[in-house]
Amino acid sequence: MQPDGSLEVENAVRAVLRDVLGLSEERAAAFREETPLFGALPELDSLAVAGVLTELEDRLGILIEDDEVDGEMLETFGALARFAQSKALG
Amino acid sequence: MIDHYDWEGGREAMLRFGPSTGPVIVAALPLFEEANRTRTFAVTILRALAERGIASALPDLPGQGESLMPTSPSILTLQDAFQAACATFDRAGRNCYAMGIRSGALLDTYAIAYGRWHFAPVDGAQVLRELTRVKQVEVGSSRKLGELWYFDGEEDALVEIAGNLISPDLLTDLKVKSAFSIEDAPDIPLRTVRHETDAKAADLKVPGAPLWRRAEPDNDPALAARLADDIADWIRACEG
Repeated sequence: MQPDGSLEVENAVRAVLRDVLGLSEERAAAFREETPLFGALPELDSLAVAGVLTELEDRLGILIEDDEVDGEMLETFGALARFAQSKALG
Repeated sequence: MIDHYDWEGGREAMLRFGPSTGPVIVAALPLFEEANRTRTFAVTILRALAERGIASALPDLPGQGESLMPTSPSILTLQDAFQAACATFDRAGRNCYAMGIRSGALLDTYAIAYGRWHFAPVDGAQVLRELTRVKQVEVGSSRKLGELWYFDGEEDALVEIAGNLISPDLLTDLKVKSAFSIEDAPDIPLRTVRHETDAKAADLKVPGAPLWRRAEPDNDPALAARLADDIADWIRACEG
């Protein structure tokens, strides 16, 4: 896995959360590995989860199967970034 | 100003902007929830077009906006109504252009249009996939939705997705709907604009965030002005 590619994907995940949830640049920039997402961000409801996944697909050119989507992957920013990296970078 | 148009199912409201002569562009918002998220943005584009001397209209389609139609219309009904809104201007001797945002680009297929301008168009299968995903998140991972999950209820029962009641027939319809493409009519101008973050092909890529994904309705006046410039230039080029 390319370290450069990993950071690129992490930044894409950050940008998608910012754009879909309407977060400020500062708030999105403050996301760390352990920052909780689903259940912790009031903006992240079912509609927004679907929007985040679809937008990730569009921007990273990946396809996310519905059975890959579970609570764990959305638990923290780090978990979502790792999931996206594994899909985008293989 | 608020005007109206007639289609075979009744009369619907239509917002109009700009001069009362010359070419006019008629806009279609995306289907379902995305309409609420893009309406203010679309109106901002149309107002900006008026400032650039181009007339426009935003018809309420059956079942949308202020429309009194109680049931969930079919795609064909929406296409018929959009065609009727465009015909209002055609009968007045004005050249009519169509503008579609996202799945709104699926609705101008039968309109008598001198050209079509689409922003981030999606095909119906993609819309259905996104709706299924929303529903899947709503019902939780313990229940996996099958391919034809929307027929699981009682006969003709509308399904609720994120607060919208939608008929199963419309969802079936969606699967086979695509936006008008240049192969359909090579002589009729078609312009596609997308965000820079969108990997799909486009005639123009613009910066900004996709408002139709926003959890709360938002606006982007700078992007609206940029798109109004593009539409105004394009219509003037089409008019020669």
